Amino acid sequence: MLTIENLVAGYGKVQVLHGISLEVPQGRLVTLIGSNGAGKTTTLRALSGMIQPQSGSIRLDGKDIAGLPSYEITRRGMAHSPEGRRVFPTLPVTDNLLLGAFTRFTGMRPKGDTSADLDRMFELFPRLRERRTQLAGTLSGGEQQMLAMARALMLNPEVLLLDEPSMGLAPKLVEEVFTTVARLKERRITMLLVEQFAAAALEVADYGYVMENGRISVHGPAEQLRNDPAVRDAYLGVAH
Amino acid sequence: MNVLAQLVISGVVVGMIYGVIAFGYQLTFATSKTLNFGQGEALMLGALVGLTTINFLIGQSLGAFTAYLLMLPVVLAFGLLQGAVVEFLGVRQAIRTKSEAGWIMATIALGIIFKNLAENIWGRDALRFPSPLPEAALSIGPVRIQPMEIAIVLGAVALMIAVEIFNRRSIYGKAVVATANDRDAAGLMGINTRLVITFSYALSSMAAAFAGVLVAPITLTGATMGAVLGLKAFAVAIIGGLSSGVGVVVGGLILGISENLTGYYISTGYKDVPGLVLLLLVLTFKPSGLFGSAAIKKV
Repeated sequence: MLTIENLVAGYGKVQVLHGISLEVPQGRLVTLIGSNGAGKTTTLRALSGMIQPQSGSIRLDGKDIAGLPSYEITRRGMAHSPEGRRVFPTLPVTDNLLLGAFTRFTGMRPKGDTSADLDRMFELFPRLRERRTQLAGTLSGGEQQMLAMARALMLNPEVLLLDEPSMGLAPKLVEEVFTTVARLKERRITMLLVEQFAAAALEVADYGYVMENGRISVHGPAEQLRNDPAVRDAYLGVAH
Repeated sequence: MNVLAQLVISGVVVGMIYGVIAFGYQLTFATSKTLNFGQGEALMLGALVGLTTINFLIGQSLGAFTAYLLMLPVVLAFGLLQGAVVEFLGVRQAIRTKSEAGWIMATIALGIIFKNLAENIWGRDALRFPSPLPEAALSIGPVRIQPMEIAIVLGAVALMIAVEIFNRRSIYGKAVVATANDRDAAGLMGINTRLVITFSYALSSMAAAFAGVLVAPITLTGATMGAVLGLKAFAVAIIGGLSSGVGVVVGGLILGISENLTGYYISTGYKDVPGLVLLLLVLTFKPSGLFGSAAIKKV
């Protein structure tokens, strides 16, 4: 579904990604883990067009999308729930969700049943239903995270990029986020999940990539990575 | 007492004109953090294009009122186009290169060019604009008011409400608000934010052009009519707050009324002073404007 080859990207003259290759097959949950500053968020930003890659190819459903502006990439079915949530603070929860389906309302993507999808989001995140008329800027961090994920899902995406959905949340909410991710996986939604909670991410994912200093250092089926001594030592925080 | 009421009413009429122009400043500031300093010239061009159109229609033996109504869509369309041209020529490059001041000079320069253009097409003299409504003033209680003055207030309010409804109800309007909130995140929704910014410039000039044909029947029309109005509306936008819809209306009324009162009770020579002193006070003590608020942001 999503194939990335030798992706090089960065900010201005600072190169952050030094040739990343990875693959997210249809219906699978792939996770990208690694320490702070390894380039995980930059990878997602390059995939969704928030920054322009310097070289390499990004193929979505076989078509190269590298270098397209972000709105074009979204119109081709890539949804991105970005770092820091980035909800629209002065708009109510419902409007945030409807904007997730902007391309469907405006004929750029198949319309489908947007109101049924809105209901489905409220089932998946009951807190959002309670708060649906509230301005997004007044929600708690956890609620904003749910909103950012739901908004991305309103695209009916081919691929969903999730950037650190657990960041800054209380432990109980982190658990809730991972339960939600597992539920999305059951629905066969193709996902690329970036996480700092490597253990939890590898628990729920099918396949994992480990990033170090802008390169992929190890990759393999999630179960294999969980048992890899090097990965355990560096990222899983397992006591000796 | 009667004089006071009369002064306040006239101040409200002028204030609403300032309000509509200031509303235009807000529209582009919201989406792009840039302003069209040629907003006064957009008003002037709208009024002059309106003048030519309405005179043509009256020449087709239409009544002034019908001609005025038929002229409105022409002027609104012209305003949209003119604003899009300003954005395309003057602002787009500055935003792309993240220039801090490029758009300021570019929009001022375009304003001067438009003014020169207007002087060459319509001449340097002030021209009379046919009034669509009877010019005899109506007596309402103690005050006398021209029908066109009532139309100005209603028209100004109608325009602002129409834009507000568009922003709240339609998905395209929500896209504009989303772009104003967070341009990158709006891009992730599939919104072409560059187009949204062009659109906000178009809408901003449309508001100015509309203000031009509202005010033209009670003043005179000419190439120099826009400069002072544009500048005062800028003061209104700063006083009211560049982020507040209510602010521009209240700011416009404050400036309009204070001008009239000072002009009558003190001296017409000082009529601009209270509004500009208020501007200085606001800049010192509440730089986001009387009604402006810091954006809600949670990280």
